[in-house]
Amino acid sequence: MAPFAVVAPASPDEAIAELRAAGPGEAVVLAGGTDLLFDLEDSRVGPRRVVSLRRLPWRTLDWNGPSLTIGSTLPLRAIETDPEVRRRIPGLYAAVRAVGSVALRHQATLGGNLGRSAPASDLIPILLVLDAEVDLLGPSGERRIDVDRFVLGSRRTALAPGELIRSIRIPEARPSAYLWQRVRPFHDISHMAVAVAFSAARSAWRVAVSGFPPRPLLVPEAEEALGGPEPGPEAVARAADALAAHAPIVADRRASEAYRRQLVRPLLQRAVQAIRAGSGGR
Amino acid sequence: MTEPSVHLTINGRSMAIAGVPPEERLLDTLRWRLGLKGTKEGCRTGGCGACTVLRDDRPALSCLTLTHDAEGTSITTIEGLEGDPVGEKVRAAFDAAGALQCGYCTPGFVMALTGLLREGGSSIPLGELLEDLGGNLCRCTGYAAIVRAVRSAREALA
Amino acid sequence: MTVAPRPDGPDKIAGRTIFGTDLEVPGMLWGALVLSPVAHGRIRSLDLTSARAHPGVVAIASDDVPGLVEHRMGDPERPPFPREEVTYRHQPIAAVAAPSRALAREAARAVRVEVDPLPIAGDLDELFPEWPSSRIEDPSRVAAHVHARKGEVERAFHEAETVVAETYRTAGIHQVALEPHACVAEVRDGVWRVQSSTQSPFGAREDTASILGIPETSIVVDGTWVGGGFGGKGAALLEPYALLLARASGRPVRLALSYAEEFRLGRSTLPSVIRMETAVTAGEIVARRVRLLLDVGTSLPGRDFATGYAIGFLLGPYRTPSFEVEGYAVRTNKPPLGPHRAPFAPQATFAVESHLESVAREVGVDPVEFKARHLWRQGDRTPFGQRVTPFGLPAALERARATATRWRQAAPARHGVGVAVGFWSTSTGAGGEARLCLSPTELTIIEGEREIGSGSVLIGLSQVASRRTGLPIERVRVEYRDSSRAPYDAGVFGSRTVGALGRAVDEAAVALLRTLGERLSAPGPATLEVRDGEIVAVHGTTRRPVSEIWTEEEARVGGIAAEGKHYGKSGEIDEHLVRDGTFYAFTDFTGAAHVAEVAVDPETGSVRVVRYAAFHDAGVVIDLPSARAQVEGGVAMGLGTALTEESIWSDDARLLNAGLLDYRIPTLGEVPPIEIEFVEGFPGAGPFGAKGLGEPPIIPVPATIASAVRDACGAHVTELPLSPERVARGLKLV
Repeated sequence: MAPFAVVAPASPDEAIAELRAAGPGEAVVLAGGTDLLFDLEDSRVGPRRVVSLRRLPWRTLDWNGPSLTIGSTLPLRAIETDPEVRRRIPGLYAAVRAVGSVALRHQATLGGNLGRSAPASDLIPILLVLDAEVDLLGPSGERRIDVDRFVLGSRRTALAPGELIRSIRIPEARPSAYLWQRVRPFHDISHMAVAVAFSAARSAWRVAVSGFPPRPLLVPEAEEALGGPEPGPEAVARAADALAAHAPIVADRRASEAYRRQLVRPLLQRAVQAIRAGSGGR
Repeated sequence: MTEPSVHLTINGRSMAIAGVPPEERLLDTLRWRLGLKGTKEGCRTGGCGACTVLRDDRPALSCLTLTHDAEGTSITTIEGLEGDPVGEKVRAAFDAAGALQCGYCTPGFVMALTGLLREGGSSIPLGELLEDLGGNLCRCTGYAAIVRAVRSAREALA
Repeated sequence: MTVAPRPDGPDKIAGRTIFGTDLEVPGMLWGALVLSPVAHGRIRSLDLTSARAHPGVVAIASDDVPGLVEHRMGDPERPPFPREEVTYRHQPIAAVAAPSRALAREAARAVRVEVDPLPIAGDLDELFPEWPSSRIEDPSRVAAHVHARKGEVERAFHEAETVVAETYRTAGIHQVALEPHACVAEVRDGVWRVQSSTQSPFGAREDTASILGIPETSIVVDGTWVGGGFGGKGAALLEPYALLLARASGRPVRLALSYAEEFRLGRSTLPSVIRMETAVTAGEIVARRVRLLLDVGTSLPGRDFATGYAIGFLLGPYRTPSFEVEGYAVRTNKPPLGPHRAPFAPQATFAVESHLESVAREVGVDPVEFKARHLWRQGDRTPFGQRVTPFGLPAALERARATATRWRQAAPARHGVGVAVGFWSTSTGAGGEARLCLSPTELTIIEGEREIGSGSVLIGLSQVASRRTGLPIERVRVEYRDSSRAPYDAGVFGSRTVGALGRAVDEAAVALLRTLGERLSAPGPATLEVRDGEIVAVHGTTRRPVSEIWTEEEARVGGIAAEGKHYGKSGEIDEHLVRDGTFYAFTDFTGAAHVAEVAVDPETGSVRVVRYAAFHDAGVVIDLPSARAQVEGGVAMGLGTALTEESIWSDDARLLNAGLLDYRIPTLGEVPPIEIEFVEGFPGAGPFGAKGLGEPPIIPVPATIASAVRDACGAHVTELPLSPERVARGLKLV
């Protein structure tokens, strides 16, 4: 590992100043570190400066009516142990529990997961179907951006130089579910996953897929096929067809394209069933 | 550039550790600077749980923690469970159940279970507790004896 | 069941046990290896200058070895570093040692290596697409060839009512001992000393001597506590490099693998292709033809035992009137093959058991019935002409059949129940010696093996001595000594510790009791007991406190001691059947029948193991808790082989999943409850009739799971592991 310096700014402004002071690619942001340190272990060329967010006051979880705002540096474990999250957004609960191990979730954060933007992220798909927004703080002030527009590709985001993820806002607690397929049920990387949520306010379904490059995606064709709040078996089957047809599925060494296409149907059907049953997944 | 000292409370003792390079992992600080070899080095990538310690009473992967980023926290290692009411029960349960063979994963398991039981006590459903130990790998026992130990440790705290 | 606490338990649970990775000695340097960037190539240049420019750094490569080892008389086939050609990716090309871990890594990176790439041999199917219809003629690819036949095979196939032919494939798998390889070496006063986490201090000494070209008597291997072995820590791996670095630096050197390196350059199992053909008439097997392609990586010619060994399992434990077997050990640009708990037997058993199930279905006979009918029984001859020793497998299969019938009746939809058997033999051929010392307060077993986890050393050997002498086990202690001070033993592998080293302990115990009998002036050997806290020698009504005898013997010969040796003979096969190569004989036959109930997801191919039962012939079980623990651990490991574990190699022989997230061993949540039963009445050649049990539990598992999956959903998966995607293909979903 190439030598670097670790700094832990005491305020958001200082953190942004640290990032601005560094040249392009010279600084990385450290939240929980579970993904970043994995990469740093064997890299020859690393960042010069690691900016830790541990002192920032962003380990928060706030309910405000139907909406939930999660501070970017809150460990994932605090999300899954919030009883309201488990009850009101079961899909988020299920997705968080799909990440790594408990010890890892005591360190890993929602902001880190978004900021690192892995193609097989278990959290981005559920954030997509919850229409979550990312609150960013940067040299030119604050801005809010949809998760769908924030995640650009594999390890690529819309973060501007010097910008930080302050929090993630879920505008509406929704019936939701997250279903994944893996070789090993626990402690593995999902090679196919489907997140589904129903927005009562908009009377619309949201469907996202994940597990393959370049990034988790919403699939509007499947959403439309599901139709109203009580889709019958035909609608679910049509949605599954639409998902299999329109999701831009590719192969990698974890699974073939054909197998992934096969998987989207049962995963979608089970996700809709889970929502009907009031559970978040398995 | 000289690195500032890192201030940690290790097994109840506050200390300032000087000369820690910025890239050093907590795992290496514990093992090679402080001689706390009970924390085992396995995969160093968060995949096996052998290096599990408690950070502010919660299970943490010392291999995925920069020592400097642990500044100000309280770290408990397997050596620090002596006299700890939950830790002692967990250790006794592992011993009574014969829940080990080579023993390399054992400290990590003991720490993870201690952390989980401190967090939720005996109120955690057994199934959830077992699922939550999924990040600790054991290659020898097939987990059967470990499951017996988990069950009896949980009951001992009820 | 109450479980006796393990003697090593308290220290391990408290984190006090020092493993190989924990070793630290004053003045120690940190070693690191410089690894080949390609799988095959010619070294154009190797420049250590920049590495050596770092303060305190020592760097060595091929050219330095002669200067470090005077009068080298090594095996030219096995130099520690390649001189011209690298033959696998991550092959060590050079080594460095530095005052810190970070500096060692930096120095290793500073070594400049230029390698001109050469063509890479990776995948077996790509190398020999026409096999087995066309023969393999390229001698440079064949590390070993074995061929044997019996009877008129062609005619039998020609005249048979039914012929079933299938091809099976198995993936490479890794041992995944949680502790990576680690050692600390020091060279002083002509003594090359290495502390190492090894399954075999004497084996590591022999290997190291051969690689470095120095006499074994100059080398001391001191085993540390071992964080799991499973075959991966049997031979020398890091010891020669650490010793050379220690010699070059004049300092102690620690060398350990990172876990990624553990996967990349540790010795693991490699892929295979197995072709199976069986001819049946009137429900009886009349002939079988088995062909094997086994990837052995860069194993050297003549140093591969795997093919001749593996092929013995491919006929299964079944009566076979005529057969032809042929196997090729194929050289590819992967690391050398290494043994993995019951080397290749789980894979071979998967193929033969699945295949015979296909055969039984084809001829309309219940598969278990078909197997039971053909199973060897004690006194039968194996296909290779060996006489079958007491063999509990038929009894185990009957128990398994009863359980399977019960489970199948209760199984819900989408569940399936599978049964398979596997056999094994205890490696009693490899030798071992032990010394016993009796003091007034305890009996000490002095030996040269470290406990690797199974309990076979600490508990197994103690049980043998306890049973023979009559002393309670709390009064028996095992004292490990390094290779310069311990009696010789071959190693903790091959399920042999109790069966072979235990025989040496038993022989020493018998000699000790005879000596005590003489000191009692009794006509035969004494026994021992504890009375009022004191150890007493007893013969009939004669008894004497050992303290008295000890005082006399101490003055006379320095104490009460005895030695035992066991150099067993391997069984013999009918050499007339062998056309080419070396086939290995089995010795003490043992085996197991397993039952699994699985649930198969009909839409995703995911398999969940619901419950499991294992019926084992372990001869006379001498320590039930340890025996059960071996079965629990072996079955779980087998579930990994069956369902999730697979080394994924790219076309250019790069290991793509060198980490524990992508190489998936079972976690706590996947292992079901396991019912365990030992069938009795089939004593083995070990002490008190014990048979080895380290390896048998893993052997039938992949076959049992495959059988259950087939029962559940009809998917006949012919490739290990049965990943969800392969099962989905079996279900024709993909």
